[in-house]
Amino acid sequence: MYKYDHIDQTLVDQRVIQFRDQVERRLNGTLAEEEFRPLRLQNGLYHQRHAYMLRVAIPYGLLSAKQLRTLAFIADKYDRGYGHFTTRQNIQFNWVELEQTPDILAELAKVEMHAIQTSGNCIRNITSDAFAGVAADEYIDPRPVCELLRQWSTLHPEFAHLPRKFKFAINGAKEDRTVLLCHDVGIELKKNPNINNGELTADIYAGGGMGRTPILGSLIKQGLPWQVLPSYLTALLRVYNRFGRRDNLYKARIKILVKALGPEEFARQVEGEWAHLHSPEKQSKDNFTQLEWERVAKHFTKPAYQKLNAVSNEVVIASAPEPERAAFARWLERNVKPHQVPGYASVILSLKPHGTVAPGDATSAQMNAIADLADQYSFGELRVTHEQNLVLADVEQSQLLNLWRAAKNNNLALPNIGLLTDIIACPGGDFCSLANAKSLPIAKAIQERFDDLDYLFDLGDISLNISGCINSCGHHHVGNIGVLGVDKDGEEWYQITLGGEQGNDASIGKVIGPSFYANEIPDVMTSLINTYVEQRTGDEPFIETYRRLGVTPFKEAAYKNNGKHSKGALA
Amino acid sequence: MNKQIIYFPKDGKPTVVANEWQVWDGERDEGGIPDLEHGLHKVLVPFHWWRMHNPAHHQNADVLDKAGKGEIGVWFAADDDILKHAEIIEEGKNLWPVVGAHFPIFRDGRSFSTAALLRDRFEWQGEVRAIGDVLIDQLLQGARVGFDAFELRPDQSIDIGLKQFDLYSVATQNCWRDTRSTQAVA
Repeated sequence: MYKYDHIDQTLVDQRVIQFRDQVERRLNGTLAEEEFRPLRLQNGLYHQRHAYMLRVAIPYGLLSAKQLRTLAFIADKYDRGYGHFTTRQNIQFNWVELEQTPDILAELAKVEMHAIQTSGNCIRNITSDAFAGVAADEYIDPRPVCELLRQWSTLHPEFAHLPRKFKFAINGAKEDRTVLLCHDVGIELKKNPNINNGELTADIYAGGGMGRTPILGSLIKQGLPWQVLPSYLTALLRVYNRFGRRDNLYKARIKILVKALGPEEFARQVEGEWAHLHSPEKQSKDNFTQLEWERVAKHFTKPAYQKLNAVSNEVVIASAPEPERAAFARWLERNVKPHQVPGYASVILSLKPHGTVAPGDATSAQMNAIADLADQYSFGELRVTHEQNLVLADVEQSQLLNLWRAAKNNNLALPNIGLLTDIIACPGGDFCSLANAKSLPIAKAIQERFDDLDYLFDLGDISLNISGCINSCGHHHVGNIGVLGVDKDGEEWYQITLGGEQGNDASIGKVIGPSFYANEIPDVMTSLINTYVEQRTGDEPFIETYRRLGVTPFKEAAYKNNGKHSKGALA
Repeated sequence: MNKQIIYFPKDGKPTVVANEWQVWDGERDEGGIPDLEHGLHKVLVPFHWWRMHNPAHHQNADVLDKAGKGEIGVWFAADDDILKHAEIIEEGKNLWPVVGAHFPIFRDGRSFSTAALLRDRFEWQGEVRAIGDVLIDQLLQGARVGFDAFELRPDQSIDIGLKQFDLYSVATQNCWRDTRSTQAVA
């Protein structure tokens, strides 16, 4: 993975000094809270319901074992012994003290980490495919471009106070695992022998997003040579910075501008601006050079893989003794993914054990254990997925059984990846001061209701995403089943959406009707799932059945015994 | 108005200098330049006002006289689309020693793009001054995108402000003032 050079290191060290000074000015009263707020947010520091929360960037999801041990250390020393991995490849510490945040950042800087631009109205932490560089379906390793753009966007002076937050996602695989179209800018990397001398190009999608107005991004540029990404993105962000709405917080995202102008007109304005930035005499200055590519790309070479033969799944399964075989096979089916290199596989460690902690939470003990597993089985590296799980990307197939046993001992081996209980959820009203309703008790109640693995396996792929408010941090809009917490007269209610999907057939879910009270949600889920089970044909997954039948049978089932508005919290 | 400004020329050092330019907000417009504070002769007028009273079109003697002496500049509001008025700005290169770009509130970053466009597109060589809700934690970004003078909001500490400019010895993108840091060749 990428190693900081002295420029990167100096920058994060000096960022700590700058932030320490800002915190001191806040504490001695010379900096008002109102004016400190955007400054702390640009360094990932929120003020939540009970305490400050620090969001630390894990750029494009890549993490070393050493870094994870530092995160565990921070969880123990400065927080309450755990961290929460988010849908955007960050980790959050929920219980930090303002006075201690500069020290935490100094600890992070020692292992080449930071919290720069993990919040605020600026270019946020850039996300990508958790399986970058190893996925069997990848055609371009996106990591060098991710890193180049991470550097380009870090402390970018012109775009420090945009109308609203700005999120990039970058994909280079056949299957989209980045929710590309739900980002302010989605960059799809390609190689076409007829464009840019067969070198890397980018297709640019703009104006996607979730929140109050979920919209899928529109293709505004095709075949952009990778070298000119900085000038093109400067043009795009400049148009947004100048003309994005600033009169209404809820209409300030780029999606509203793109929608208001129309994608063609927005693309035309960007093109017009870019024509000035990208004149022949200027391009050598602003754009990426081959030298820079090499400086960055050399860190993303393949690790020292053994020359191995690919092993069939049957042989891997047969390596387990009879009493363990069925459980091991299940784990292989759900939690192990194909790899580019023969004899290797990628393993997803589930951070979604049923009914215990918040989806995406890991204790410091688990973080240390996972770091050890990464060292032992996967070249000391791991990745964070959009679904809030962790990945050991480079595991020898012959080691899968040992790894599974070790993961089981740390409660990390539940074979529920992609199943109903692999729930994406935001921290919700238990922590977040923006939330209208709690997310975590809903996730827990659903996991407890659907605790039977045989049944979950029979149901197959279903995504269930829960957000505690319309900001949609739990990505409910793209869940096959989405749950959104809403506030009605000071009470917590939950709205259900159906038909959302991430990936290449991304779609936004539709609201089925009036919201439900918390204690009705498990029964509503049962009704929806029963409807699917009754109506499906063959191995049709949930989303296909929904697309074939439409909302009506699901809606009727959901409201048959529920939605009577019998108030009640979860037991 | 702040009696002092921070002046930080490109290739120079940031220093504190007396503020010679009064910013007129355009209120109580009687068709000419308003009375300035005692001892001041130079004024930044709203760009939209200049467009209405453009001396090339309105033979306003007072304005012509002041412009001739180099005592008039304009300031751009955050929502002024300067690219729409490129001709006026091109003419202004010979008329305005100073232009301002206004921050209605510190977290409104439109004037960063205005400054970048003035330097990059118009190749503006004169002073570009940050005015309005200018706080010390915006100085660094402002200095990088194209501002070389800052009239801080009066409650801001000019001494702490002066310390902001050398917080970073590296940068990872090009800007008006400097180019991105590159590895020393071994």
